[in-house]
Amino acid sequence: MSTYTLQRLLRDVNRDPALRERYFAEKDAFVAGYALTPEERSAILAFDVGKLYALGVHGLLLRPFTIIHKMSEPDYLRAIRGEA
Amino acid sequence: MPIVFAAAMSHAPGITAWPEAAPAGQRDNLGAAFERLAADLHSARVDALVLLTSEHWVNFFLDHVGAFCVGRAEAYTGPVEPFLRIERREQAGAADLGGRIVAAAYENGFEPGFSFDLEFDHGSMVPLHLLGVGNDVPVVPIFFNTLVAPQPSAARCYDFGRVIGRALAAEKQRIGVIASGGLSHDPGELRHGIIDSSFDELFMQRMERGDAAGLRGYSNADFAAAGAGAFELLAWIALQGALDGARGHKLAYEAVVPWATGMGLMEFDVA
Repeated sequence: MSTYTLQRLLRDVNRDPALRERYFAEKDAFVAGYALTPEERSAILAFDVGKLYALGVHGLLLRPFTIIHKMSEPDYLRAIRGEA
Repeated sequence: MPIVFAAAMSHAPGITAWPEAAPAGQRDNLGAAFERLAADLHSARVDALVLLTSEHWVNFFLDHVGAFCVGRAEAYTGPVEPFLRIERREQAGAADLGGRIVAAAYENGFEPGFSFDLEFDHGSMVPLHLLGVGNDVPVVPIFFNTLVAPQPSAARCYDFGRVIGRALAAEKQRIGVIASGGLSHDPGELRHGIIDSSFDELFMQRMERGDAAGLRGYSNADFAAAGAGAFELLAWIALQGALDGARGHKLAYEAVVPWATGMGLMEFDVA
């Protein structure tokens, strides 16, 4: 669990309505506020769920984050299992 | 006064967020059990409720991880999740009772964290919602770290429960205790959807018998094998510690695949 800042970004979007609104309104600027590695930044901007999981994001951060993005459970499971 | 109401239940978000996904037979069986618990809680006329529960990255994060946290707030808000189909509201807190539980713990070999500012997610709001607990019944949430290794051991949680139970017995108020979480499930992880019914049934039998040795003997590996969410059963084990071996009764159990959770409800002989 070394992806501390990346996980903090997901947590902020999940739990804070104002930050969630800003994330969806201006994603690039929002993400720029977090000191992410280039790999993490591209995974979050591309909404690459399989990559986010592989990077070590906890399932109970990632699944709520994807529910907020209207991702279905089968699509989520295919993504984290690398079946997509 | 002894504890006047005690129950344990699963809190999967699907119960309220996507109830229609579950087969009608399972939903009806669990719904009847929730209604019975709500009625029994109402009849118990509790002055305050202690909620042994877990949370999911709402209050606690990797900047500071503790084993236990006792709520001492005058009020809580929740749920945090926008998709839960439970209206966000305020829930009164029994701040003084929380403080007395912390003091009793420190006098008896436990130093839990404590907080005057906590929010509730489905781990707390689903039980309160389904048991009909309103703002007129103040609560004390006690959170267990179930998310990050190392989690507190089953034995340690049972013993922490003993300390909580003794503290509650010294109260003049009528107090109910609810354990929330489990049973087998692996939410959001690779085995999402797995349910180990034989693990769940054996665990509930041990809870029914007040089998201290059996409950204290669960290892972290046992829980991990039943899915990451099975660590939430540490709160159930603490409840049985608080009840000091009281007999329990399984009200319902269903392996609900669309909710990705082994769903169990129990009530215990108290008072």
